[in-house]
Amino acid sequence: MTRNARLTTFETMDAANVAIALAGLVLAATLLGVLHRTTQGRARSIPTRWKTDSRIVSIDGVALGERATLLQFSTEVCTPCKSTARVLDDLAARTESVTHVDLDVTHRPDLASRYRVLQTPTTLILDADGAIRARIGGAVRRDIVVAELQKVLEPQKVLAA
Amino acid sequence: MTAASTPSATTAKGIDPRGPRFTAGVVAILFLVVIGLALVGLANPAAATASLGLSIFNAAVFLWAAIRGVQHHPYGFFFKKVIRPRLKPPVELEDPIPPTFAQGVGLFVTVLGIAFFFVVGPIALVVAGAAAFVAAFLNSVFAYCLGCQIYLLLARAGVLGRKRPAAA
Repeated sequence: MTRNARLTTFETMDAANVAIALAGLVLAATLLGVLHRTTQGRARSIPTRWKTDSRIVSIDGVALGERATLLQFSTEVCTPCKSTARVLDDLAARTESVTHVDLDVTHRPDLASRYRVLQTPTTLILDADGAIRARIGGAVRRDIVVAELQKVLEPQKVLAA
Repeated sequence: MTAASTPSATTAKGIDPRGPRFTAGVVAILFLVVIGLALVGLANPAAATASLGLSIFNAAVFLWAAIRGVQHHPYGFFFKKVIRPRLKPPVELEDPIPPTFAQGVGLFVTVLGIAFFFVVGPIALVVAGAAAFVAAFLNSVFAYCLGCQIYLLLARAGVLGRKRPAAA
């Protein structure tokens, strides 16, 4: 009985119903895309409940900047990592004692786990002690990075913008 | 162990980033057809077979692009020959590795749909097709980068990214 009832519903899957289902899918995907876009490039602070280990950055072979570090996590399969690297490189070059480090974690999932990196690019803004002051998921926006860097470097001015 | 700040290996010449986005648009449309046929196929065996056939075709194209690299994608070839000459040159070129990775993910999802078709019927092609459609659509319309979002999740789960032997 139930089976018959279901078959009947399926039989009503005529052209109009299929078109409605497909249109719904396109609409849902569009909403997802808009939502995704708004989450990219936002700066967030680190929850205080995180262990010190994941709040202070110390990685072998990575030299931090004297006043601040823009630490970028990248992989080989990441297109926007390149544009993010360009923006951060340029900002670091224009700002005294600020370093940009682009860390390829393609083969270092351990580092990605330690700093809870889920997507690339992810950018951590570190102060002079290597403590994470902000984190930005996705391609960076220059104005947002400058604003966050400003907070770390206060009261000195960032020579960028 | 050096976690040094080496930029990832890039090929000397990149590809026009609009190529993969055009390709993804074609793939998205084909998956809409797969889903539509599979929905009709819930009651109509001929439509189900057609949906299966198109899924196998999509899988074959994914396989080709994943193995040969996205720069050898058949739809990308059409883009290169017919569409690109009518456009302005690209602002910048991009690395073919990220879109090639996405082709592999597409292949995996499509093959999963085909396999489950034989277990649960056309609904498997609807579900797998919807996943493939969303990824391809987002890539085409929003420049969504699949590798950026799922590579590290897979690497952290131990599926990908284990260090290659040093003697590479």
